[in-house]
Amino acid sequence: MPADIRTTPPPPLGAVEFDIPKPIEHRLENGLRIVVVEDDRLPLVSFRLAFASGDINDPPGHTGLSSALGSMLVEGTANYSSLQFAEKVERLGSSLSASVSDDFTIVAASALSLYSSEILDLLAEVVLRPSFPEGELDLYRRNTVEHLKFQRSQPGFLANEQASRLIYGDHPYATISPNAADIEKIDRESLSRFHAAKFIPNNALFIAVGDVNANELFEQLNAIFGDWQSGKVASAEYAKPPVRSTRSITIVDRPGSAQSNIVLGNLAIKRTDPDYFSVLVMNQVLGAGASSRVFMNLREEKGYTYGAYTRLDTKKLAGNFEATAEVRTAVTGDSLKEFFYELGRIREDLVGEEELRDAKSFLTGVFPIRAETQEGLTNLIVNQQLYGLPDDYLQTYREKVDAVTAEDVLRVAKKHIRPDEMAIVIVGDAEEVLEQVRSYADSVEIFDTEGIAQDESKYAGVKGGQPVDIAGKWKLIIDFQGQQLPVSLTLDQDGESVAGLLETMLGNGKITDGKVTGSRLSATAAVEMQGQPIEFAISGKADGDSMTGTISAPIVPDPLPFAGSRA
Amino acid sequence: MSETFKLSPLDIREFSLSNGLRIILNPDNAIPVVSIAVYYNVGSRNERADRTGFAHLFEHMMFQGSENVPKAGHFQYIMKAGGTMNGTTSSERTNYYETLPADQLPLGLWLESDRMRSLAVTQENLDNQREAVKEEKRLRYDNQPYGQIFDLINEMIYKNFANSHSTIGSMDHLDAATVEDVQEFFRIYYAPNNAVLVLSGAFDPETARELVETYFGDIPSQPLPPDLDVTEPTEVAANYREWEDKLAPFPAFLIGWKIPPRRSAEFNALYLAGKILYDGDSSRLYQKLVKGDESVIQLFGFTDERRGPSSIFVGAIPKPEKDLSKIRETIMQEIHDLASHGPTAEEMEKIENQLINDSVRMRQSSMSRAQQIAEFALYDGDPKLVNTELETLLSIKAEQIRHAVGTFLNTDNRALLDVVPAGKG
Repeated sequence: MPADIRTTPPPPLGAVEFDIPKPIEHRLENGLRIVVVEDDRLPLVSFRLAFASGDINDPPGHTGLSSALGSMLVEGTANYSSLQFAEKVERLGSSLSASVSDDFTIVAASALSLYSSEILDLLAEVVLRPSFPEGELDLYRRNTVEHLKFQRSQPGFLANEQASRLIYGDHPYATISPNAADIEKIDRESLSRFHAAKFIPNNALFIAVGDVNANELFEQLNAIFGDWQSGKVASAEYAKPPVRSTRSITIVDRPGSAQSNIVLGNLAIKRTDPDYFSVLVMNQVLGAGASSRVFMNLREEKGYTYGAYTRLDTKKLAGNFEATAEVRTAVTGDSLKEFFYELGRIREDLVGEEELRDAKSFLTGVFPIRAETQEGLTNLIVNQQLYGLPDDYLQTYREKVDAVTAEDVLRVAKKHIRPDEMAIVIVGDAEEVLEQVRSYADSVEIFDTEGIAQDESKYAGVKGGQPVDIAGKWKLIIDFQGQQLPVSLTLDQDGESVAGLLETMLGNGKITDGKVTGSRLSATAAVEMQGQPIEFAISGKADGDSMTGTISAPIVPDPLPFAGSRA
Repeated sequence: MSETFKLSPLDIREFSLSNGLRIILNPDNAIPVVSIAVYYNVGSRNERADRTGFAHLFEHMMFQGSENVPKAGHFQYIMKAGGTMNGTTSSERTNYYETLPADQLPLGLWLESDRMRSLAVTQENLDNQREAVKEEKRLRYDNQPYGQIFDLINEMIYKNFANSHSTIGSMDHLDAATVEDVQEFFRIYYAPNNAVLVLSGAFDPETARELVETYFGDIPSQPLPPDLDVTEPTEVAANYREWEDKLAPFPAFLIGWKIPPRRSAEFNALYLAGKILYDGDSSRLYQKLVKGDESVIQLFGFTDERRGPSSIFVGAIPKPEKDLSKIRETIMQEIHDLASHGPTAEEMEKIENQLINDSVRMRQSSMSRAQQIAEFALYDGDPKLVNTELETLLSIKAEQIRHAVGTFLNTDNRALLDVVPAGKG
C-alpha cells in the first residue's frame, strides 16, 4: 500500500441516500388520525397511540395528573389485573408502556408482526378500559412521594426547577414536577374524569411502523377503535413566557457542596421554528458535544469541571437554550466568566470553516444511525408527526444541516443567545458562591432546597478576606465507604495561588490551579486513567495545622470527607 | 408456530487475504450506516500463568495511537464523523467495533488497519495504561460492592487455570511486564491471521473488498499462537466459600454450575432453562421470590458461554432479615421441579416467542449483526450459523430441557459463594 494512503485519513465515499418510506394516512369517522409507514424488512411492528395532551394540560390545581394517568394505564384494566396484563405481554415476547412529556402522552407497543392483532387488542385495552385499581394507585402514590423526596436531593433537579421557573414564568412549561400534596390529591375519580376528557379519538394520532399492510390495518383499527366516542378537544390558553430585560442570579443553597451546578438560560425557539437547523449547528459548535467550544474551554483548558455543555430544549409551543456545568465551588465565578466569554464569542465572530464542517458532519453522520432500529425510526416519525414538521423532514434532514452557513450560525447566535437577559441558576454553597458571582448580574435571590426564599444578608460578605498560610505537607485520611484511605497533599503557596501534589493509592496528581480564599482551599488534581485525566476536586478548610474538607471525582457518586493535619 | 416462522437469511460473503485475515461481508442497504467489528482470537484464556491481564491491557493499548493515528485520535476521528465505537475483553476474545455513516467506511478501515499494523507499544504507553488498568480494577472490582464475586466464583467452578483466572488479571503480573513482553503479545495475537473482520450495513461489496485489500493486505502474518488446553473435569473446584465484602450493604449469594460448551445441545437446553427460571417478570424465580415471598431485592441469572466448558449462574440479594438458606432452598426446589416435570406448555410458548423476538431484533442493527457474525466466524468457523441458530434453538424440546436441568443443575456439583457484609455498617 502506498505510504500516502496510510498517512492521511481517507475522505468519505459518495453520499448514500437515506430512503425513508413515505407515510400512508387515513382518518376514522370519529376523528382518529392514522399514519402508517410500511417497512417489511423484518417481521416486527411498532405501534404508538399518541395524545396531544401532556403535563402542560394538567387541570389547574392537579399538577401530576397526566403523569399519573400514563403510569396507571398498565396497572389494571376492565379485563386484567396488573400482573395478568404483564404476563399477557411477556407471553408474546412483546412490550407495552406509556410515557408522558410536556406536550404529549404516548402509549407504545412493539411486537413480532405475527402478534400484531394481539398486541393491538392489549393496547386498546389499556387506552379504552383502564380501571385504576385502588391498591395499585396507593402503591403509585407512595412510590412517587418517595421519588419526589429523592429528587430534591439531586442538584441537577433543583437547578432545572429554578431555570424553568425563571424562563417560563406563568407558562405551564415552568413546572417540571408535582409536589407531594399534588400526588396525595390524585384519586380514581380525578384520573377517570381526566382520562375521559383527554383520551378521545379526535385528540389522538395512531402511528404504525413496520411489517403491516396499511389497508388491512385501517380496517382492523376501525373495528377496534370505530366505536370510540369523540369528544370536545378543550382549547387551552397559556400565559406567555416573560420577556426578560436583565440578567439575574438565583442561588439554591446547599451548604457544604463541593460543586456548583450552573445553568444559564434564556427563551429560544420552539420545535417548528424556521431557525431550527441553524440553531442546531450553532449549538453543536458551541457546546453540544465533547469537542465543542465550552467543553474545550472549561474542561480541557481550564479544568474547572468534568463536563460543560450547552443544550436546546425545543418544545411544541416554546423552547429554551441552556449552558450547563458542574464546577468546583471555588471556580464558580471563573466558570461564569468563561461561559460568558464563549456566549459572546459565538455572537461576535463567524465560526471557522473546519469547526463548522466538523459540527455538520457529526450531525449528519449520527442521524441515520438513530434510524437503524425500528424503535429508532418510529421515534423519528413520531416526532415529525407530533410536532407537525414537513412531510419530507426526515428525507431532507441531512441536506438542511449541510446547508447551514457560518453566517446563519452568527445570525441565530445573536438572536437566540442573549447573555444580557439570561437567568443564571447556581445550586451550591451560597456562602462560598455569593461573592464570587455577584458582579455577573443585576439582581440576586437565594432559596433553600425546599424552594423557600432566604435572606441574602445571611450569606453576604462571609467569604473573602486574606488567605491563611496553607503551605506544607498535609497528611489526610479519606473516609471511603467505611474504609480509611491515607492521602498526602503537598502545597506551595504564593498569595492566593496554590500548586503542589496530591498523592493517593490510586496514583498521583499535580495541582496547578489551587486557590486559597480566607481559610478555604480549593484545588484540582488530575490523575491519569485510560489516557484520560480524571479530576479530583479538593475543597478544604484549614484551621491552624488541621484541615477538614471533601474530595470528589466524577467516578465516585458523592464527595468523600477527609480530615488530617500538617506534618 | 415455530414450523411456520421463517426469517429471510442474511447475505453473508466470506473471503480471506493472503496474510490470513478472514473477512465477512453482510451487505444490507436498508439504512446508510455501516458497522465494522474486528475480533482478535485472544482472551484471558490465552494468558500465561505469570502474565495474566494482558488481553485486557491491550483493550487499553489499542486506543493509545499507532503510526499514523495520534493518541486518542481514534476516538476523535470516529466522533467527528458522527460515529460510535468501543472495545471489550472476555475469556474468549478481544473485540473492537465502530458504527459509522456508510460513506465513512474507508475511515473506519483506515483506523482499524493502522492499529493492527503499527500499534504504538511504547514504554510510556505501557506505563500509563498499566496505571489506567489498576485504576479500573480499583473502581470496578475492588471498590464496588459485590465487585469481585464473579471472579471468585469462576475460581470455584473451574480447575483449569486457563478458565479460572480473571480477565482483569494480576496487577503484579502487569507490573512485571516489560515492553518487550507486550510487543511480543501484540505480534502473536494481533496478527491478521488471528483475527476476523466483519462489515455489516450499507456498502457495495466490491468496493468494500477493494478497500479491505488496500488497507489490510500488506500487514504481515505471523506464526500461529501456541496451542491451548481448556479441558476440564466435570467436578467443580470448590463447593463452598464465604466471602467477606467490606463494601456490601446486604448479604448476597451466587450459585454457579459448570456446564458443557456453548452451542452444545445441553448448553442450549440450559440456556432456555435459564429463561424459564430467571428471565423477566413472569419467570419462575421472580414470581416465587420477588413477588410471592417478597424475600429478595434483586434476583439475577445468566449463562457465560465459552468455547470450552461454560457456566450458568443464579444469584440474589435478599431483603434484610430474610433467611438465605430458605431462599436457596426455594431455588433448588424450582430446579428440582423443572428436572422432574419439565417446562409447561405455556413456558415453551413464551420462550419460543422470546427467542424469535430476540433473533429478529438482533438483525435490526448493523452492529449487533456484525458482532454475532464475528462470533460464529471466530468460534465456529462458520459465519452462516447466524442464519440457522434460531432454528437450532427452537428445535429444543421440553424433554431436553428437563433432562439437562436434571443432569447439570439438580446436583450438589455446584459452587456456592456466600457474601457476608464486613464493613463497619
